[in-house]
Amino acid sequence: MKAEQQLKLQAWVDGELAEGEARQVAELVRVDKEAQAIVGELRLAKSILAGNELEAKLPESTQFYWNKIQREIERLGKPEVASRPASWVFSWRRLLVPLSGVALIAFLSVLSMNLFHYTAVDEGLKHLVEVENLSEHVGSISYKSQSENMFVVYLYNKEQEAEKDPELEPMDDTLVQ
Amino acid sequence: MASHPEKPEVPDEKLVRRAQRGDMIAFEGLVARHRDKIYARAFSMMRNEDEAVDLSQEAWVKGWQRLKQFQGESSFVTWMTRIVINLCLDQLRKQKRQRAESIEQLDEELGGVERQMPTVTVNPTEGLERGELRARIDRALNQLSYEHRTVLILHEFEDLEYKEIAKRMQCSIGTVMSRLFYARRKMANLMASYKREELS
Repeated sequence: MKAEQQLKLQAWVDGELAEGEARQVAELVRVDKEAQAIVGELRLAKSILAGNELEAKLPESTQFYWNKIQREIERLGKPEVASRPASWVFSWRRLLVPLSGVALIAFLSVLSMNLFHYTAVDEGLKHLVEVENLSEHVGSISYKSQSENMFVVYLYNKEQEAEKDPELEPMDDTLVQ
Repeated sequence: MASHPEKPEVPDEKLVRRAQRGDMIAFEGLVARHRDKIYARAFSMMRNEDEAVDLSQEAWVKGWQRLKQFQGESSFVTWMTRIVINLCLDQLRKQKRQRAESIEQLDEELGGVERQMPTVTVNPTEGLERGELRARIDRALNQLSYEHRTVLILHEFEDLEYKEIAKRMQCSIGTVMSRLFYARRKMANLMASYKREELS
Protein backbone atom coordinates (compact mmCIF):
# COMPACT_ATOMS: atom_id res chain seq x y z
CA MET A 1 0.00 0.00 0.00
CA LYS A 2 1.25 3.46 -0.88
CA ALA A 3 2.31 5.83 1.90
CA GLU A 4 -0.33 8.32 0.80
CA GLN A 5 -3.09 5.74 1.26
CA GLN A 6 -1.73 4.76 4.68
CA LEU A 7 -1.85 8.37 5.82
CA LYS A 8 -5.40 8.64 4.55
CA LEU A 9 -6.34 5.61 6.62
CA GLN A 10 -4.83 7.30 9.65
CA ALA A 11 -6.70 10.55 8.95
CA TRP A 12 -9.89 8.49 8.79
CA VAL A 13 -9.11 6.86 12.16
CA ASP A 14 -8.47 10.31 13.64
CA GLY A 15 -11.66 11.77 12.19
CA GLU A 16 -9.78 14.31 10.11
CA LEU A 17 -11.35 13.50 6.72
CA ALA A 18 -14.23 15.27 5.03
CA GLU A 19 -17.47 13.28 4.80
CA GLY A 20 -17.14 12.20 1.17
CA GLU A 21 -13.54 11.06 1.55
CA ALA A 22 -14.33 9.32 4.82
CA ARG A 23 -17.01 7.25 3.05
CA GLN A 24 -14.50 6.16 0.39
CA VAL A 25 -11.93 5.14 3.02
CA ALA A 26 -14.57 3.27 5.03
CA GLU A 27 -15.39 1.28 1.91
CA LEU A 28 -11.70 0.52 1.32
CA VAL A 29 -11.32 -0.71 4.91
CA ARG A 30 -14.38 -2.92 4.49
CA VAL A 31 -12.95 -4.79 1.50
CA ASP A 32 -9.14 -4.54 1.87
CA LYS A 33 -7.35 -6.82 4.35
CA GLU A 34 -4.13 -4.79 4.39
CA ALA A 35 -6.10 -1.62 5.11
CA GLN A 36 -7.89 -3.46 7.93
CA ALA A 37 -4.56 -4.51 9.46
CA ILE A 38 -3.17 -0.97 9.34
CA VAL A 39 -6.32 0.53 10.82
CA GLY A 40 -6.25 -2.16 13.54
CA GLU A 41 -2.69 -1.29 14.48
CA LEU A 42 -3.36 2.45 14.50
CA ARG A 43 -6.39 1.97 16.75
CA LEU A 44 -4.38 -0.31 19.02
CA ALA A 45 -1.65 2.32 19.45
CA LYS A 46 -4.28 4.96 20.14
CA SER A 47 -6.07 2.84 22.73
CA ILE A 48 -2.82 1.87 24.51
CA LEU A 49 -1.91 5.52 24.96
CA ALA A 50 -5.36 6.82 25.85
CA GLY A 51 -5.34 8.01 29.46
CA ASN A 52 -2.13 6.16 30.24
CA GLU A 53 0.46 8.87 30.40
CA LEU A 54 2.93 8.45 33.25
CA GLU A 55 2.22 10.99 35.97
CA ALA A 56 5.59 12.55 36.73
CA LYS A 57 5.93 14.38 40.05
CA LEU A 58 7.93 17.52 40.54
CA PRO A 59 11.25 16.39 42.07
CA GLU A 60 11.54 19.33 44.48
CA SER A 61 9.46 20.90 47.22
CA THR A 62 6.68 23.28 46.24
CA GLN A 63 8.11 26.03 48.42
CA PHE A 64 11.58 25.80 46.85
CA TYR A 65 10.05 25.67 43.37
CA TRP A 66 7.77 28.66 44.04
CA ASN A 67 10.58 30.73 45.58
CA LYS A 68 12.56 30.45 42.37
CA ILE A 69 9.52 31.46 40.31
CA GLN A 70 8.76 34.38 42.61
CA ARG A 71 12.33 35.65 42.48
CA GLU A 72 12.27 35.58 38.70
CA ILE A 73 8.92 37.34 38.55
CA GLU A 74 10.17 40.05 40.88
CA ARG A 75 13.37 40.40 38.92
CA LEU A 76 11.47 40.92 35.69
CA GLY A 77 9.02 43.37 37.18
CA LYS A 78 5.32 43.51 37.81
CA PRO A 79 2.79 42.70 35.10
CA GLU A 80 0.29 45.24 33.87
CA VAL A 81 -2.73 45.15 36.11
CA ALA A 82 -5.79 44.00 34.20
CA SER A 83 -7.75 46.92 32.84
CA ARG A 84 -11.19 47.67 34.28
CA PRO A 85 -13.85 46.00 32.15
CA ALA A 86 -15.80 48.48 30.04
CA SER A 87 -19.29 48.61 31.44
CA TRP A 88 -22.27 50.43 29.96
CA VAL A 89 -21.76 53.19 32.52
CA PHE A 90 -18.30 53.94 31.11
CA SER A 91 -19.58 53.76 27.54
CA TRP A 92 -22.40 56.18 28.35
CA ARG A 93 -20.06 58.52 30.14
CA ARG A 94 -17.94 58.84 27.02
CA LEU A 95 -21.03 59.95 25.17
CA LEU A 96 -22.39 62.15 27.94
CA VAL A 97 -19.27 64.28 28.30
CA PRO A 98 -19.51 65.93 24.86
CA LEU A 99 -23.31 66.04 25.13
CA SER A 100 -23.19 67.90 28.40
CA GLY A 101 -20.75 70.33 26.76
CA VAL A 102 -23.20 70.99 23.93
CA ALA A 103 -26.03 71.47 26.44
CA LEU A 104 -23.92 73.95 28.38
CA ILE A 105 -23.16 75.93 25.23
CA ALA A 106 -26.85 76.11 24.39
CA PHE A 107 -27.65 77.23 27.92
CA LEU A 108 -24.96 79.93 27.84
CA SER A 109 -26.14 81.17 24.46
CA VAL A 110 -29.65 81.71 25.76
CA LEU A 111 -28.35 83.21 28.99
CA SER A 112 -25.99 85.64 27.28
CA MET A 113 -28.64 86.78 24.83
CA ASN A 114 -30.96 87.49 27.75
CA LEU A 115 -28.19 89.29 29.61
CA PHE A 116 -27.38 91.54 26.69
CA HIS A 117 -31.08 92.17 26.29
CA TYR A 118 -31.32 93.13 29.93
CA THR A 119 -28.17 95.31 29.53
CA ALA A 120 -29.99 97.41 27.04
CA VAL A 121 -32.99 97.69 29.31
CA ASP A 122 -31.37 97.87 32.72
CA GLU A 123 -27.77 99.08 33.08
CA GLY A 124 -27.67 97.70 36.64
CA LEU A 125 -27.59 94.13 35.43
CA LYS A 126 -24.66 94.49 33.00
CA HIS A 127 -21.99 92.95 35.31
CA LEU A 128 -24.11 90.03 36.45
CA VAL A 129 -22.52 87.46 34.22
CA GLU A 130 -22.31 84.37 36.35
CA VAL A 131 -22.32 80.94 34.83
CA GLU A 132 -23.21 77.97 36.95
CA ASN A 133 -21.71 74.78 35.60
CA LEU A 134 -23.51 71.71 36.93
CA SER A 135 -21.50 69.14 35.00
CA GLU A 136 -18.97 67.11 36.99
CA HIS A 137 -17.08 66.21 33.80
CA VAL A 138 -16.87 69.54 31.99
CA GLY A 139 -15.25 72.60 33.48
CA SER A 140 -15.74 76.15 32.13
CA ILE A 141 -14.00 79.51 32.24
CA SER A 142 -15.94 82.53 31.03
CA TYR A 143 -14.85 85.99 29.95
CA LYS A 144 -17.07 88.95 29.12
CA SER A 145 -16.10 92.21 27.48
CA GLN A 146 -18.77 94.88 27.40
CA SER A 147 -16.69 97.18 25.24
CA GLU A 148 -16.22 94.50 22.57
CA ASN A 149 -19.73 93.23 23.08
CA MET A 150 -18.18 89.76 23.44
CA PHE A 151 -18.72 86.79 25.69
CA VAL A 152 -16.23 83.85 25.57
CA VAL A 153 -16.58 80.52 27.34
CA TYR A 154 -13.77 77.95 27.45
CA LEU A 155 -14.86 74.38 28.07
CA TYR A 156 -12.51 71.59 29.13
CA ASN A 157 -12.70 67.94 30.16
CA LYS A 158 -11.99 67.86 33.89
CA GLU A 159 -11.03 64.16 34.01
CA GLN A 160 -8.63 64.25 31.10
CA GLU A 161 -6.91 67.27 32.38
CA ALA A 162 -6.56 65.81 35.84
CA GLU A 163 -4.98 62.64 34.40
CA LYS A 164 -2.67 64.26 31.88
CA ASP A 165 -1.78 67.78 32.59
CA PRO A 166 -2.38 69.84 35.65
CA GLU A 167 -2.62 72.89 33.45
CA LEU A 168 -6.00 73.50 31.95
CA GLU A 169 -6.24 73.30 28.22
CA PRO A 170 -9.39 74.31 26.41
CA MET A 171 -11.37 71.37 25.05
CA ASP A 172 -13.68 73.58 23.09
CA ASP A 173 -13.89 77.29 22.51
CA THR A 174 -17.22 79.00 22.27
CA LEU A 175 -17.67 82.53 21.18
CA VAL A 176 -20.97 84.15 21.83
CA GLN A 177 -21.48 87.57 20.48
CA MET B 1 -11.62 34.34 57.61
CA ALA B 2 -10.25 34.34 54.08
CA SER B 3 -9.78 30.87 52.63
CA HIS B 4 -6.30 29.78 51.58
CA PRO B 5 -5.91 29.89 47.77
CA GLU B 6 -4.67 26.29 47.65
CA LYS B 7 -7.90 24.96 49.11
CA PRO B 8 -9.94 23.20 46.46
CA GLU B 9 -13.09 25.17 47.28
CA VAL B 10 -11.49 28.24 45.72
CA PRO B 11 -11.94 27.65 41.98
CA ASP B 12 -9.16 28.35 39.49
CA GLU B 13 -11.23 31.10 37.87
CA LYS B 14 -11.37 33.06 41.09
CA LEU B 15 -7.62 32.68 41.73
CA VAL B 16 -6.91 33.71 38.14
CA ARG B 17 -9.02 36.86 38.48
CA ARG B 18 -7.21 37.78 41.68
CA ALA B 19 -3.83 37.06 40.11
CA GLN B 20 -4.79 39.22 37.12
CA ARG B 21 -5.23 42.09 39.55
CA GLY B 22 -1.67 41.51 40.77
CA ASP B 23 -2.32 39.15 43.71
CA MET B 24 0.79 36.97 43.87
CA ILE B 25 -0.58 34.80 46.68
CA ALA B 26 -3.41 33.75 44.40
CA PHE B 27 -0.87 32.93 41.68
CA GLU B 28 1.16 30.90 44.16
CA GLY B 29 -2.02 28.94 44.82
CA LEU B 30 -2.33 28.17 41.12
CA VAL B 31 1.31 27.08 40.94
CA ALA B 32 0.87 24.80 43.97
CA ARG B 33 -2.25 23.29 42.46
CA HIS B 34 -0.94 22.58 38.94
CA ARG B 35 2.84 22.29 39.40
CA ASP B 36 2.95 18.52 38.78
CA LYS B 37 0.90 18.63 35.59
CA ILE B 38 2.99 21.40 34.05
CA TYR B 39 6.22 19.71 35.12
CA ALA B 40 5.00 16.34 33.81
CA ARG B 41 4.28 17.78 30.37
CA ALA B 42 7.75 19.35 30.22
CA PHE B 43 9.32 16.08 31.35
CA SER B 44 7.40 13.97 28.83
CA MET B 45 8.74 16.15 26.04
CA MET B 46 12.29 16.78 27.25
CA ARG B 47 12.98 13.43 29.00
CA ASN B 48 15.31 15.27 31.34
CA GLU B 49 14.46 16.20 34.92
CA ASP B 50 16.56 19.36 35.20
CA GLU B 51 15.40 20.75 31.87
CA ALA B 52 11.80 19.95 32.75
CA VAL B 53 12.07 21.80 36.08
CA ASP B 54 13.69 24.83 34.42
CA LEU B 55 11.22 24.99 31.54
CA SER B 56 8.19 24.50 33.76
CA GLN B 57 9.40 27.35 35.99
CA GLU B 58 9.93 29.52 32.94
CA ALA B 59 6.39 28.68 31.86
CA TRP B 60 5.00 29.89 35.20
CA VAL B 61 6.94 33.14 34.93
CA LYS B 62 5.61 33.65 31.38
CA GLY B 63 2.14 32.74 32.59
CA TRP B 64 2.30 35.47 35.22
CA GLN B 65 3.53 38.02 32.70
CA ARG B 66 0.83 37.15 30.17
CA LEU B 67 -1.97 36.61 32.64
CA LYS B 68 -3.80 39.66 31.33
CA GLN B 69 -4.13 37.91 27.96
CA PHE B 70 -5.88 34.91 29.49
CA GLN B 71 -9.55 35.32 28.62
CA GLY B 72 -10.83 32.01 29.99
CA GLU B 73 -11.55 30.46 26.58
CA SER B 74 -9.87 27.27 27.82
CA SER B 75 -9.18 26.20 31.38
CA PHE B 76 -6.24 27.87 33.09
CA VAL B 77 -4.26 24.62 33.26
CA THR B 78 -4.78 24.02 29.51
CA TRP B 79 -3.55 27.55 28.83
CA MET B 80 -0.48 26.96 31.03
CA THR B 81 0.16 23.60 29.35
CA ARG B 82 0.23 25.29 25.94
CA ILE B 83 2.83 27.74 27.26
CA VAL B 84 5.10 24.98 28.55
CA ILE B 85 4.69 22.99 25.31
CA ASN B 86 5.79 26.00 23.27
CA LEU B 87 8.82 26.52 25.50
CA CYS B 88 9.78 22.84 25.18
CA LEU B 89 9.39 22.96 21.39
CA ASP B 90 11.65 26.02 21.23
CA GLN B 91 14.22 24.27 23.38
CA LEU B 92 14.07 21.08 21.32
CA ARG B 93 14.51 23.07 18.11
CA LYS B 94 17.57 24.78 19.58
CA GLN B 95 19.04 21.44 20.61
CA LYS B 96 18.34 19.98 17.18
CA ARG B 97 20.15 22.83 15.49
CA GLN B 98 23.13 22.25 17.75
CA ARG B 99 23.57 18.58 16.99
CA ALA B 100 24.62 17.36 13.58
CA GLU B 101 21.83 15.53 11.81
CA SER B 102 22.88 12.14 10.59
CA ILE B 103 21.32 10.35 7.64
CA GLU B 104 19.82 7.79 10.04
CA GLN B 105 18.02 10.53 11.97
CA LEU B 106 16.45 11.92 8.82
CA ASP B 107 15.57 8.43 7.68
CA GLU B 108 13.90 7.72 11.01
CA GLU B 109 11.82 10.86 10.78
CA LEU B 110 10.53 9.77 7.42
CA GLY B 111 9.74 6.30 8.71
CA GLY B 112 12.72 4.49 7.18
CA VAL B 113 12.94 1.77 9.86
CA GLU B 114 9.23 1.72 10.69
CA ARG B 115 8.36 0.90 7.08
CA GLN B 116 9.97 -2.49 7.48
CA MET B 117 8.23 -3.38 10.75
CA PRO B 118 5.53 -6.05 10.88
CA THR B 119 1.98 -4.94 11.63
CA VAL B 120 0.99 -5.56 15.26
CA THR B 121 -2.39 -7.26 15.37
CA VAL B 122 -2.57 -8.63 18.93
CA ASN B 123 -2.77 -6.21 21.86
CA PRO B 124 0.63 -6.53 23.61
CA THR B 125 -0.63 -4.81 26.75
CA GLU B 126 -3.45 -7.16 27.61
CA GLY B 127 -3.49 -8.18 31.27
CA LEU B 128 -1.05 -5.51 32.34
CA GLU B 129 -1.78 -3.51 35.45
CA ARG B 130 -2.14 0.23 34.88
CA GLY B 131 1.13 1.09 36.63
CA GLU B 132 3.07 -1.41 34.54
CA LEU B 133 1.33 -0.27 31.36
CA ARG B 134 2.22 3.35 32.07
CA ALA B 135 5.83 2.43 32.81
CA ARG B 136 6.08 0.58 29.48
CA ILE B 137 4.53 3.47 27.59
CA ASP B 138 7.04 5.78 29.20
CA ARG B 139 9.89 3.45 28.27
CA ALA B 140 8.67 3.32 24.68
CA LEU B 141 8.26 7.10 24.47
CA ASN B 142 11.85 7.37 25.65
CA GLN B 143 13.00 5.32 22.67
CA LEU B 144 11.28 7.48 20.08
CA SER B 145 12.94 10.39 18.33
CA TYR B 146 11.83 13.75 19.68
CA GLU B 147 9.80 14.44 16.54
CA HIS B 148 7.86 11.19 16.88
CA ARG B 149 7.44 11.55 20.64
CA THR B 150 6.26 15.16 20.42
CA VAL B 151 3.69 14.48 17.74
CA LEU B 152 2.31 11.56 19.76
CA ILE B 153 2.11 13.63 22.95
CA LEU B 154 0.39 16.52 21.22
CA HIS B 155 -2.10 14.31 19.42
CA GLU B 156 -2.85 11.60 21.97
CA PHE B 157 -2.40 13.41 25.28
CA GLU B 158 -3.20 17.01 24.36
CA ASP B 159 -5.90 16.17 21.78
CA LEU B 160 -4.59 18.65 19.24
CA GLU B 161 -5.64 18.38 15.60
CA TYR B 162 -3.11 17.92 12.78
CA LYS B 163 -3.36 21.60 11.81
CA GLU B 164 -2.67 22.80 15.34
CA ILE B 165 0.29 20.42 15.75
CA ALA B 166 1.75 21.59 12.41
CA LYS B 167 1.51 25.20 13.57
CA ARG B 168 3.22 24.49 16.87
CA MET B 169 5.93 22.26 15.40
CA GLN B 170 6.44 24.66 12.48
CA CYS B 171 6.07 22.00 9.82
CA SER B 172 3.50 20.96 7.22
CA ILE B 173 0.36 18.95 7.98
CA GLY B 174 1.78 16.20 5.72
CA THR B 175 4.88 15.97 7.92
CA VAL B 176 2.71 15.77 11.03
CA MET B 177 0.67 12.93 9.49
CA SER B 178 3.78 11.07 8.43
CA ARG B 179 5.47 11.46 11.82
CA LEU B 180 2.33 10.43 13.65
CA PHE B 181 1.87 7.36 11.48
CA TYR B 182 5.38 6.07 12.01
CA ALA B 183 5.39 7.04 15.67
CA ARG B 184 2.30 4.91 16.22
CA ARG B 185 3.78 2.01 14.29
CA LYS B 186 6.98 2.20 16.31
CA MET B 187 5.07 2.50 19.56
CA ALA B 188 2.98 -0.59 18.78
CA ASN B 189 6.09 -2.56 17.83
CA LEU B 190 8.01 -1.48 20.93
CA MET B 191 5.12 -2.56 23.14
CA ALA B 192 5.05 -5.90 21.31
CA SER B 193 8.80 -6.31 21.85
CA TYR B 194 8.41 -5.68 25.61
CA LYS B 195 5.76 -8.36 25.67
CA ARG B 196 8.15 -10.79 23.95
CA GLU B 197 10.86 -9.86 26.47
CA GLU B 198 8.45 -10.65 29.29
CA LEU B 199 7.59 -14.04 27.83
CA SER B 200 11.14 -15.14 27.06
